[in-house]
Amino acid sequence: MQVLSSIGSQLVNVCSALLLLTCFAIVAQRRLSACVDLFALQSAFLVVTAALVAYLTGNQHIYIAAALTGVIKVIIIPRVLKKIIDRLNVKRELVMYINVQAGLLICGGLVMLAFFISQPIIPLGSLLTRDSLAIALAIVLIGLFTMIARQKAVTQLVGFLVMENGLFLGATAATHGMPLIVELGVFFDVLIAALIAGIYTNRLQDAFDSVDTSRLTALKE
Amino acid sequence: MIAVVVLLVAPLLAGGLSLVVRRSTLLHVINLISLGALVTAEFVITRTVLRDGPFTALGQLVYLDALSTFILFIIGAVGLACSFYMRSYMDEQVAQGVIAPTRLNLFFFLFHMFVLAMVVATVANSVGVQWVAIEATTLATTFLIAFWRRRESLEAGWKYLILCSVGISLALFGVVLLYYSSLQVLSDVSQGLNVTQLLPVADRLNPQVLKLAFIFILVGYGTKVGLVPMHSWLPDAYTEAPAPVVAMLAGVLEVVAVYAILRVRMIIDHAVPVDFTGGLLALLGFASFVTATFFILIQHNYKRLFAYSSIEHMGIAMIGFGVGGALGTFGGLFHLLNHGLAKSMAFFAAGNVHRRFHTVEIDHVQGVAIAQPWTAFGLMTSGLALSALPPFAAFASEFQIVAALASQGVPGVGFTGTEGMVTVALSDQFSRVALASVFLVSAVLSFGGLLYRMTGMVWGIPREGIVRGEIWTLGHLPIIFLAGALVGFGFFLPQPLQQLLEQAATILVIQ
Repeated sequence: MQVLSSIGSQLVNVCSALLLLTCFAIVAQRRLSACVDLFALQSAFLVVTAALVAYLTGNQHIYIAAALTGVIKVIIIPRVLKKIIDRLNVKRELVMYINVQAGLLICGGLVMLAFFISQPIIPLGSLLTRDSLAIALAIVLIGLFTMIARQKAVTQLVGFLVMENGLFLGATAATHGMPLIVELGVFFDVLIAALIAGIYTNRLQDAFDSVDTSRLTALKE
Repeated sequence: MIAVVVLLVAPLLAGGLSLVVRRSTLLHVINLISLGALVTAEFVITRTVLRDGPFTALGQLVYLDALSTFILFIIGAVGLACSFYMRSYMDEQVAQGVIAPTRLNLFFFLFHMFVLAMVVATVANSVGVQWVAIEATTLATTFLIAFWRRRESLEAGWKYLILCSVGISLALFGVVLLYYSSLQVLSDVSQGLNVTQLLPVADRLNPQVLKLAFIFILVGYGTKVGLVPMHSWLPDAYTEAPAPVVAMLAGVLEVVAVYAILRVRMIIDHAVPVDFTGGLLALLGFASFVTATFFILIQHNYKRLFAYSSIEHMGIAMIGFGVGGALGTFGGLFHLLNHGLAKSMAFFAAGNVHRRFHTVEIDHVQGVAIAQPWTAFGLMTSGLALSALPPFAAFASEFQIVAALASQGVPGVGFTGTEGMVTVALSDQFSRVALASVFLVSAVLSFGGLLYRMTGMVWGIPREGIVRGEIWTLGHLPIIFLAGALVGFGFFLPQPLQQLLEQAATILVIQ
């Protein structure tokens, strides 16, 4: 039993680390459609992590959450995003406020910050998923950074979704899943938010001939 | 509990019907009936809560105490005023061809979903469900803000969606942390986010985790309240959205977001010294108050003026909650109500002015008193009420807050050695006097800035080509009614409302 739980803990940590790694890949990626693919990959890792936690802890309802993640974040949302990208024809290089090298360095700093913040509270968690909380916080922060550093509406949306992935990792790994009604609500919100943001990108394209949010400058003091 | 069911079903049903009904009159009737039902249910709940104390309903999903009932009262009052105002506002927009008649359905549907989300956020027992509902308000309102589909409105709507979604994601991390802390204490965690479960064990929760959770939740929901420095979406959204929507955003949504912060604080204060949460609230409160005052002074767009005034008043309320104690908390809650009523009235009047003058520049608007006497009355009254002059109720609440500030000071400031963020090594008395002075100077400056602009708009002679005279419509009813309430509450609070406020303040103050 001891051995099993130790291996399980290692596996969960590996999966969480892979999630974090895909974050860095998203930051380093210049092509928009590749960003979306990487997001789908990250969500797939998330499904595996959630299923692992569900299996190791015996919490059945995490399976439901994992399945929903699979359907919504691996299949539906990437497809919607791909459609938007096709329609907008914005596959060319991404415009960034911060170049890739500096971005990666900042993200490295954010990971350290996340571990620093969560240091005092990590020992409270169960042995199985101890470090996942810090990794989850790191992913949230990197998602936030992506939203700030990128100009395209679609990439901002990807940043938001990465943040949500981090939150879901935190909820699954650190707390073994929130109450089911809350998780269902969160999924619903994320799905609607992604769809609404999709509609916006269309309208922004029509109104501004661009989804470059740095052009949204009419409103200021 | 029938009243609770009515509370939830009325907006849901109204939203569904709004999608299928074709005639605009019928849409308005549905709107009025649904908000009327909401207010009636609210009265019934108030009576129950005052008689029997807090209760849960619908299998632990709903938790109602004096605090949430008080918030429901604000939702009902401002919502009902809005639905009267919408009758004349939306019809005129349709008649002018600004809105296609078919899009009215969408407008009402989103409006009802917005109300529903706010009601759910208020009555939810689980902090997680509350989060879901508050994110739902963002989703329901973003298209309402961008309803004109102009470039500027799209920009405002997009900014609002992104900033609030990000903010609220941070709040979700706070909620996760709260749940994480409850895991160590509760045996049955399937309801580990319920207020009814957390409150009895709150003093055993881990303080380190709770502190971190509170910071995330404060930043997250603070974005929704529009506290400085997370406020940048707010003036844009308030300028671009249709007037009834802004009235709801400013009068109710901000209040609901404040309520979400208070709800979590209520739990956290049991485990962490009050200094911590109080100090943070007061810090953000002062930042918002002072910054907003500055922007009020340099403002030349009247809708943005009111938007910054919203930030200012939320800052004042936050200072009240931060200072705490019975007086500060009571003042803060009372201020939420006064601000909600005054600000929705201000935006009703601003909407009328915009429709007549077709500009948002203060310098281009003159002689509202001649062109639109009733609107001028509303504009002036709300201006005076927002400046917190007597005899308006906002004077009473602001006075309570500044009195609490001067007598108690801000927790965490004035002595070193607390673990709080602010460790200014000043003598206690000096810091109290200094903070109260900052408060009063900001209040006087914003008073001057606001009234100077208002009088400039109201008096004078209107431009050539502006139609003079105003026809009485249903939309003027809420202006008169709100003016009455604002003066009336300054002198006399109805007994149930006073009890509700006192009990809500007692809930929030940790003995």
